[in-house]
Amino acid sequence: MGPRSTRRRGPVHALLGALAALLLGAATLTGCGPEDGAVTSLGTTGGTRVEGGTATMALPPAATPNWIFPIGTAGYLASYNNAVQDLLYPPLYTAEKEGAGLTMDSPRNLAEQPRYSDRNTTVTIALKKGYRWSDGTPVTSRDVEFWYDLIKHDKEEWAGYSPGLLPDNVKKFEVLDDHTFRLRLDRPYNPAWFTGNQLQDFTPLPKHAWNPHDENPKKVFARLLEHAGKLSEFATDPLWKTVSGPWRIEKWTTSGQVSLIPNKQYGGPDTPHLDRVVLKPFTTADSEFNVLRAGGVDYGYIPPSVTARSASFEKLGYRVDPWEGWAITYIVLNFNHPTAGPLLRQTYLRRALQHLIDQRAISDVVWHGSAEPTRGPVPAGQLDRDPFPYDPKKAEALLTAHGWQRTDGRLRCARPGTGPDRCGKDITAGQPLRLELLSQSGSTETSNTVQEIKSALEKAGITLDIRQQPLNTVLGTTVPCKTTEPVCSAWQLGFFGTQGSWYFPTVASGESLFATGAPSNMGNWSDPKADELIRKTEYSDDPSAMRDYARYTADQVPVLWTPNPAYQVSVIRNDLRGIDQNPTLSLAPQDWYFVKKGGTGR
Amino acid sequence: MIRFLAKRLAQAAVVLLLVSVIVFVLLHLLPGGPARAILGVKATPEAVAHFNHQQGYDRSLPQQYVMYLGRLLTGDLGASYKLNQSVTSLLGERLPKSALLAGLSIALAAALAVPLGVLQAVRRGGAADHLLTGAAFLAYATPVFFLGLVLILVFSQQLQIFPAEAPQADTVGGLLADAPALVLPVVTTALGIIAAFSRYMRSAVLDNLEEDYVRTARAKGQSNARVMARHVLRNALIPLATLLGLYLPTLFSGLLVVESMFNYPGMGLLFWNAAQGSDFPVLLGVTLVVGVATVLGSLITDIAYAVLDPRIRSVS
Repeated sequence: MGPRSTRRRGPVHALLGALAALLLGAATLTGCGPEDGAVTSLGTTGGTRVEGGTATMALPPAATPNWIFPIGTAGYLASYNNAVQDLLYPPLYTAEKEGAGLTMDSPRNLAEQPRYSDRNTTVTIALKKGYRWSDGTPVTSRDVEFWYDLIKHDKEEWAGYSPGLLPDNVKKFEVLDDHTFRLRLDRPYNPAWFTGNQLQDFTPLPKHAWNPHDENPKKVFARLLEHAGKLSEFATDPLWKTVSGPWRIEKWTTSGQVSLIPNKQYGGPDTPHLDRVVLKPFTTADSEFNVLRAGGVDYGYIPPSVTARSASFEKLGYRVDPWEGWAITYIVLNFNHPTAGPLLRQTYLRRALQHLIDQRAISDVVWHGSAEPTRGPVPAGQLDRDPFPYDPKKAEALLTAHGWQRTDGRLRCARPGTGPDRCGKDITAGQPLRLELLSQSGSTETSNTVQEIKSALEKAGITLDIRQQPLNTVLGTTVPCKTTEPVCSAWQLGFFGTQGSWYFPTVASGESLFATGAPSNMGNWSDPKADELIRKTEYSDDPSAMRDYARYTADQVPVLWTPNPAYQVSVIRNDLRGIDQNPTLSLAPQDWYFVKKGGTGR
Repeated sequence: MIRFLAKRLAQAAVVLLLVSVIVFVLLHLLPGGPARAILGVKATPEAVAHFNHQQGYDRSLPQQYVMYLGRLLTGDLGASYKLNQSVTSLLGERLPKSALLAGLSIALAAALAVPLGVLQAVRRGGAADHLLTGAAFLAYATPVFFLGLVLILVFSQQLQIFPAEAPQADTVGGLLADAPALVLPVVTTALGIIAAFSRYMRSAVLDNLEEDYVRTARAKGQSNARVMARHVLRNALIPLATLLGLYLPTLFSGLLVVESMFNYPGMGLLFWNAAQGSDFPVLLGVTLVVGVATVLGSLITDIAYAVLDPRIRSVS
C-alpha cells in the first residue's frame, strides 16, 4: 500500500511542487532578488581598495570580439574590437573626457604632445621612455613606422582608410631617433584636428616580433592577416603574445569571450589592480539581463525602459550609470528623393519640422532620462544653444509664411513658386505635406520616439508615414544616391539611431558626415558654405572654426536632430570602482578595483 | 530496403537543392544588401564596392548561385562576414552543442513522457490523469521564452540553485562538466516536448489497449506488466518515433529561443546573430544544416517505423 500509494502520489506531488514554483516565479516577475552582499553605494571611486579579483563585464548584444590585429579590415572595425586591441596595443594617444569635450593629453599616452611646425605641415612626436614590449624590448619609433608602413602599403585593405586622409596626407615618415619621429604632411592642418582624428590611429606594433627579417610590408601584412583570421588561436599564437599594453590575453574563446590578465612588463603609469578581466559576449539583451539579475556579471547593462526601476538594482548592490557616447543622433533626410527631395530642400520646412520635435520630452519620457537632446552636428555639450527648441507655434508660423494652408486638417501648398513667401521650387499647388520615415525596428524606445514625432507632425497637419525595418535593411537602404537611382526612391527619411546615429572621432568634425559627397552623407546634403567651414576645421588653426561650423550646420538642419541615447545604461557592482565610462567607448580596466565589502576582500 | 533508402536519399538531395535555391534567392532579394550592415555607416563607397566585388554581389543572381553551388559541392560553405571564421568551422563548433542540448532535452522528455503517458492511459479518468492532462496543456500552451524566464526567476534569482547562463565551454565535454548550468536550458526545452509526447503516448497506449492482440495476450494469462511492455508499449512507440523525426525543425526553432535566453553558444544563437547581422553565408549554412536534419529526421522516422513495425518492414 505504502509504496504503491507513494508511486501514485509521486507525480502529483512533484507536479504540485513544480506548479507552486512556477506560480512563485510568475508572481515574482517584477520582484527583486536577494539583497545580501549589497554594499552602500559610494560612487565610482573611493573605498578601501583590495588588490586582485576578477571583474566580468558584459558586452553588448552581438558584440563578439573577433579581431585582434590592430589594423582592422572590412567588417572588423567595431568598437568592442578596438577596445580590446587598445588594451594590448595602445595607440600613441588616447582621448579622454574633459568637461563637455575630450582631451588628447592623457597620462596614458605613449607619446608627449605632438609639436607642429612649418605652418602646421610638420609634426614631430617624441615617445615617452619606459614603455616596453612584454618581452622586455623597448617601444621605439621604428614600431610606429612599422604600423605606418603597413597601412601605407595596404591602405585598401585597412577598413579605416578614407581617400585623402591617412596615409595619403602624410608625405614622409622620418625616424629621427629611437624615441622621436617626424611626419611631413601634404598641406597645413589644424593641429587639434590632426591630433584628434589622425594621430589617434597611430599605434606602435612590435616590429622585432612581427617583422624580424625586415620583409616587404605587403608580404608582412598578408602574413599578419592570415594569423588574424585564426580566431581559435588568438590566445595561443606567439605572435599576439608580444604586447605593449597593460593587459595580455589569457583566453579568447571562439564564441568571443575574452579573458585578460595583467602584463607584468607594462611600463605605463596605469598598472592593473585586478587579477583578471573577463569580457563576456551576450547575444541578446534579455539573456544578459537575466544573468545580471542573478549576479553573473559585475558590469553589465539594462534596457532604458528598466531605468525607471533602477532602485531594484540598487537593492541588489549595483549602481546605474548611463554611458554617454561621443555621438549625435538624427533622422537622415534624402534630398535627392524624386518627390520628397523638393520639400526637404526647403530650409524653412526643415526648421519647421525641427521645431515640432520635442526632444526634451522624448528624452525624459521615452528614454527615461538616458538620452540627451541633439542640438546640431556636434555632441550636445559642444553647442552653446539649441537653435530650434520645440515650438509648434513657430513651426506653424514658418509654414504659413511660406504658403502652406490647412485643408481638412492637412497642410497643402497654396502658394507654389520660389519667392520668399512661396512653398519653394518644384512644389506644386495643392501638394500635401506628406513624408515617409524608414526607421529601424527592434527597439521599443525607437518605436515610441518615431511615434511621438509622427503624432506631433500630425497635429501640425503634416502626414508622416512610418515604415519599420530591421537595422540592416535601413542601413542598406539609406545610402548616398542620385535621384535617378532606384535606391533613391526607396526612402525619404531614415533613422538608425537606437544606439546613436554617429560616433565621432576625437574632434567632432564633419568631413565624413556633412561635407558634399562625404561617404557618410547619406542624405546627399550639399552646402558650399558648410563645405568651406568643414575645410576650415580640418586645415585652419583658428580656434573658432569648430564653433562656426557647428552653429551654421545646426541652423541649416541638414538632418532632423533627435535625442541622443546613451551608448548603454550601465549597471555596475557597487564594490567595483574606478570605472570612468569613456565617451569614445574605449575601456580602461586597469583603473578598476574592488573595495572591501563587509570587512572581506573579494 | 536499399532501393528504398536510395530513393529517399535522392528525394532528400532534391529537397535540399530547392531549399538552398529558395533561401539564396530570398536572402539576396532583401533590400540594401549586406555591405552597409557589415561595414557600418562609416564605410566609404569604395569600401562598399570592394566588398560587393569580393563577395560577388556585383554579378547576376544566377551567376552568384552557381558560384555558391560550386563551392558547396567542394564542401566550402564560405566564411562568416562577421565572426572571423569559416562557416564550416562555426557549424562544426555549434552543431554538437545544439545536438547536446536537443539530445538531453529529448532524452529527458522521452524518459518522462513515456511513463507519464502510460500512467495517464492506465489511470484514465482518474485524478492523476486529469491533473497530468491539465499540466500538459499548461506546459504546451506556455511560450518557451516565458517558461524560461519563470524558471530563471525561480531557480536562479530566487532560490539560486542553478545559474541563469548556460555553460560557455568550447567543447561538449566542457559543457557537460558544467552540468548545473545545463539544467535550466534543458528543462525549458524539454517541458513542451514532454507535454506533447505524453499526450501522444497516452492516446497511443489507449488505442493499443483496445486491440485484439492485447485481449489475446491477457487471455493467455500474461501479466499486466508483460502485456504493457511487450505488446502495448512497442506499438504505442511507433507514433512517438514519427513525432520525434518530425519534431526536429520545430525543436530547432525552440532551441533558437532557449539558446538566446540562456546565452547558449549553439546553432540557434548562431542563426539568430547571423540574421541580425546580415551574415548571409552563415544563414545559408545553418539553413542547409537544418534542412539536412529535417530530411534525416523523416528518414530516421521511416527506418524506425520499419524496425518497430514488422508489417511495414515486410512491405518495404
